[in-house]
Amino acid sequence: MSYNYIELITLILLAIGCFFILSGSLGLIKLPDVFSRIHAAGLIDTLGSGFIVLALIIYSGFSLLSLKLLLIPIFLIFTSPVTGHSIALFAHESGYKPKGKNKK
Amino acid sequence: MAKPNKDSLKTLSFITYFIILFVFWFILSGYLKTLLLFFGVISVLFVFWMSYRAKALEEDSLPLKIILRLPFYWIWLFKEIFKSGITTTALIWNGKYSPQLIKVKASQKNRTGIANYANAITLTPGTVTIEVDKKTFLVHALSKKLSEDLQTDDMNKVITDLDR
Repeated sequence: MSYNYIELITLILLAIGCFFILSGSLGLIKLPDVFSRIHAAGLIDTLGSGFIVLALIIYSGFSLLSLKLLLIPIFLIFTSPVTGHSIALFAHESGYKPKGKNKK
Repeated sequence: MAKPNKDSLKTLSFITYFIILFVFWFILSGYLKTLLLFFGVISVLFVFWMSYRAKALEEDSLPLKIILRLPFYWIWLFKEIFKSGITTTALIWNGKYSPQLIKVKASQKNRTGIANYANAITLTPGTVTIEVDKKTFLVHALSKKLSEDLQTDDMNKVITDLDR
């Protein structure tokens, strides 16, 4: 019975993670310029991958494997701001101006 | 209060770095045989020597003072990421975004603190640090509410308190 319980929690967390990844990908298409699209990519990096790894840790049980899984979000937390910052800085230096308001 | 000797502090940070590297090796390998553990120590020593040679072990890059406060700070950071992530998701779905550039002042004293603050701003979805001057950041925010959240200076205070 407890087995089903764990599977249910895993399913819910996976669904939440997938939802964040879906809205991040939607934002990548929908948002107007480079700077806004970085926000959507950051959403996938932090919340999407975070929830999915959390679900996998709960599913696999607490062992050495789950510690290894825990290393993935730790590395993402250190690297994803660097990539976002470098893209934003390069766009800024090469003269892109962020769009002020949305068109609606 | 007795001020700790500079050399002993440096030794302590070396030992901490060695322990962190070895724990990392053990998590990735998971071996418990004596021979393999010995090989692990050798590879950790090699990495240690390389980072010493690259001068990556200065005091600024391995701050021992904050290592105990770090877990609490991470829990707080996850809470912030979750909150602004939900705001950003709502903005993407309903399309009421109004991107804007703002300037944010940082009050951290050393370089690690400033890098920490800039990374924390970028990590929370909806705000990205574009440029870092000496004490002011140029930040791109996705909506007015997100930029006002940043200008209340909460995050700045927490990170300044981190390496008091």
